[in-house]
Amino acid sequence: MPSMNAVLFISFLLFSVGVAGVLIRRNVLIILMCVELMLNAANLNLVAFARHSGTVNGQAFALLVMGLAAAEVSIGLALVVALYRKKDTIQVDQINLLKG
Amino acid sequence: MIMQATISTALSTPIHSSVLWLIPFMPLFGAILNGATGRWARNTKLVDAIALGSVAISFLLVLCCFARLLGQAPENRSVNQTLWTWFDLGGAHVLGGLTQNTMNWAYKFDPLSGCMALLVTGVGWLIHLFSTGYMAEERNDGTYYRFMAYMNLFVFSMLNLVLGANMVIMFLGWEGVGLCSYLLIGFYFEREYCAIAGKKAFVTNRIGDFGFMIGFFLIFMVYGATDFDTLMGMTRTLLARPEITLFGISHAPTWWFNLIGCCLFLGACGKSAQIPLYVWLPDAMAGPTPVSALIHAATMVTSGLYMIARMNFIYINAPVALSLVLCIGSLTAIVAASMGLAQYDIKKVLAYSTVSQLGFMFMGMGAGAFSAGMFHVFTHAFFKAALFLGSGSVIMACHHEQDMRNLGGLRKLMPWTFASMGIATLAIAGIFPFAGFFSKDEILWKVFEGWYHGGNALNLVCWILGMVAAFMTAFYMVRLMVMTFYGEYRGAGHDPYGLTVPSEVVHHAAAHDDGAGHDAHGHDGQEAHGDHAHGPKEVPWNMWLPVFILAMLALVGGFLNIPHSLHWIGSSHFSHWIAPLLYQTGPVEHEAAGAMEYILMAVATLVWAPAAMALAWWFYAKDPAWSTPRAFVKRFPGVFKWVNAKYFVDEFYEAAFIGPCKQLGAQLWAFDSLAVDGMVNGAARFTLGLSHAMHWFDAKIVDGLVNLVAWILQQVSLGFRKFQSGRVQNYAFVMFLGFIVFAFWKFLA
Repeated sequence: MPSMNAVLFISFLLFSVGVAGVLIRRNVLIILMCVELMLNAANLNLVAFARHSGTVNGQAFALLVMGLAAAEVSIGLALVVALYRKKDTIQVDQINLLKG
Repeated sequence: MIMQATISTALSTPIHSSVLWLIPFMPLFGAILNGATGRWARNTKLVDAIALGSVAISFLLVLCCFARLLGQAPENRSVNQTLWTWFDLGGAHVLGGLTQNTMNWAYKFDPLSGCMALLVTGVGWLIHLFSTGYMAEERNDGTYYRFMAYMNLFVFSMLNLVLGANMVIMFLGWEGVGLCSYLLIGFYFEREYCAIAGKKAFVTNRIGDFGFMIGFFLIFMVYGATDFDTLMGMTRTLLARPEITLFGISHAPTWWFNLIGCCLFLGACGKSAQIPLYVWLPDAMAGPTPVSALIHAATMVTSGLYMIARMNFIYINAPVALSLVLCIGSLTAIVAASMGLAQYDIKKVLAYSTVSQLGFMFMGMGAGAFSAGMFHVFTHAFFKAALFLGSGSVIMACHHEQDMRNLGGLRKLMPWTFASMGIATLAIAGIFPFAGFFSKDEILWKVFEGWYHGGNALNLVCWILGMVAAFMTAFYMVRLMVMTFYGEYRGAGHDPYGLTVPSEVVHHAAAHDDGAGHDAHGHDGQEAHGDHAHGPKEVPWNMWLPVFILAMLALVGGFLNIPHSLHWIGSSHFSHWIAPLLYQTGPVEHEAAGAMEYILMAVATLVWAPAAMALAWWFYAKDPAWSTPRAFVKRFPGVFKWVNAKYFVDEFYEAAFIGPCKQLGAQLWAFDSLAVDGMVNGAARFTLGLSHAMHWFDAKIVDGLVNLVAWILQQVSLGFRKFQSGRVQNYAFVMFLGFIVFAFWKFLA
């Protein structure tokens, strides 16, 4: 049974990877995946703290987040498809219409 | 009841007075109809029908009115019709105090205006008929309707002049005939000298009109009315006043009457071509010949005479003005007649003859013999219209040749024209029993009588001038007839005596300005082919018939006014006819005709005129080489040139009046362009400069401030826009940094 600190550390690593991916990568699909990573890091934290506190509230919340993530990713992919149809690209550095 | 009254009024109102307005307006309708639609008339016969028809209807109406006058007592011989109030003067301060005056558009048909209307419509119709033949060439080039419309408009204006019941209507007609004269002289306006002749006539008439208007204003100031009946009725009252004060000047009524008479006579000088304003009439021959006959011989130029006869109540009480009329008339008669002696252009001879005859008429007026003067108007209208139309026929038959040296021998070729012009020549020369004898010798006798019975020396001088002018008249008319109709036709290269001169017709196209006064009847090529080959022949019936009718009138017209001394032949109908319109100064007494009158008459008709005619015959017919006159010209070339060039009066006017006027115009123009235009341009330039300065201020200061604000904003935003990369990741990164900072701040706190 891993210790709480180890789990939180893993979670921290996962979240950091996610943040770094979102901030650095240019491909929308990768960014979406990194967002999933961040969500899962949060899920891990929820589950870890649920077990630590002995209640199931956190685990239920993790399930809700998974469902939410599924919905989010479907909408996100739909947006990516629409974006691709419009701009012929999914590289975010080329999507800068809001440039001042 | 009202109905019955209306009907009975309508029945008792004579039909003539209600149709009086149609007499002048029919030709106006004709002019409008032809002028507006003639351009599109496919057949010029339609134009003929409208033009001739309208004048013919007028003529018939005049005849009706005339017949009605004949059936009335002499005092009632007047038909009046007021059409409408032209304008209302309101109150005007005149001599008699405040006068309420309305100017009516009113016509008055009385013995004098009736005769004139008869003349205008009757002779006018014959000349319209002549025009249908004379203007045949214009039928093809689309200007025919214009000619006929102008002619009708002229008849309308002239009828306004003679039928007008007050001076305003008369003045309207007076200006209208001037306008029509201008339009018709310049009918061939594409030729420069025609346009110039038209302008000359118009401007010269303006000078006269100035005098006419001053006289007419003075009449209104004195009488407070313009109506002829009122004027005549008030004259006796005015004359009874000790003095008349106008503009702060007091003088006897006669003094004012003299002034009015002189002013009005200036108008008559312009319209009736008297010295010093006669110069336009010879140049007016540039118009088509029917125009010369209608306007510049028979009708328009007599309007001055008509005006003086109408205003006889002024003139008979204005001895100075009357003497002026007599002097100018006799001077014009002799000067113009002498110019006629040295002309070769057939129309020019007739033009000077017209001026001279008008002088005779004014002599009659000046001698106080208004009926004699007016009678000469009528007889002159007959024979001069016949002569002009006859010359038109000659010109037409001889392919627009007007120089008499190139004519000749037309007697057998154009018998009708010759006969008609021969009768007219006898009439103008004053041979018994042609019309001229009765009218001209009556005038001369009346002038002589002024000296013989009145002891007025001026009359004797004028009578001598008149007798010389009459001699010249007979001479130049026979000269014209012989040169044109006797001998051999010199036009076809047949010239045994070397009389012909290069024809102006040939040179016409090249030297337009040289032919001033030359009838510019269209000869643009179409007659150059073939037609020239065969000689002149008689003109068609619609041309010789009017001439012949006019000649017949000249033959019998004189019997309408037989002098009292010849009462065993007949009565002086005409004098009695217009007598009610003449102001009576005293009881009329018919002195028994003295031996002197018979002697003068016999001398004039049996010796004087025949001598002149015989002299001309001897010079030109007996000797086909014309050696005597040619020797004279060779001997005294200066004298001939002086007379032929009209005593250089035109040149004198050019140097004395027109030149200075032009110079004054040039000076005024210079002043205009320097000072007036300078001021305007200066103002414009100042405004321009001011606006330049304001433009600079706007562009640099106002726009500069606005741009400065914009520039500052731009510079500031340049810094800020760096943040706006448009990349979502950057925003997310900033958000993340913010979160980190917030977390550390929270954590550290």
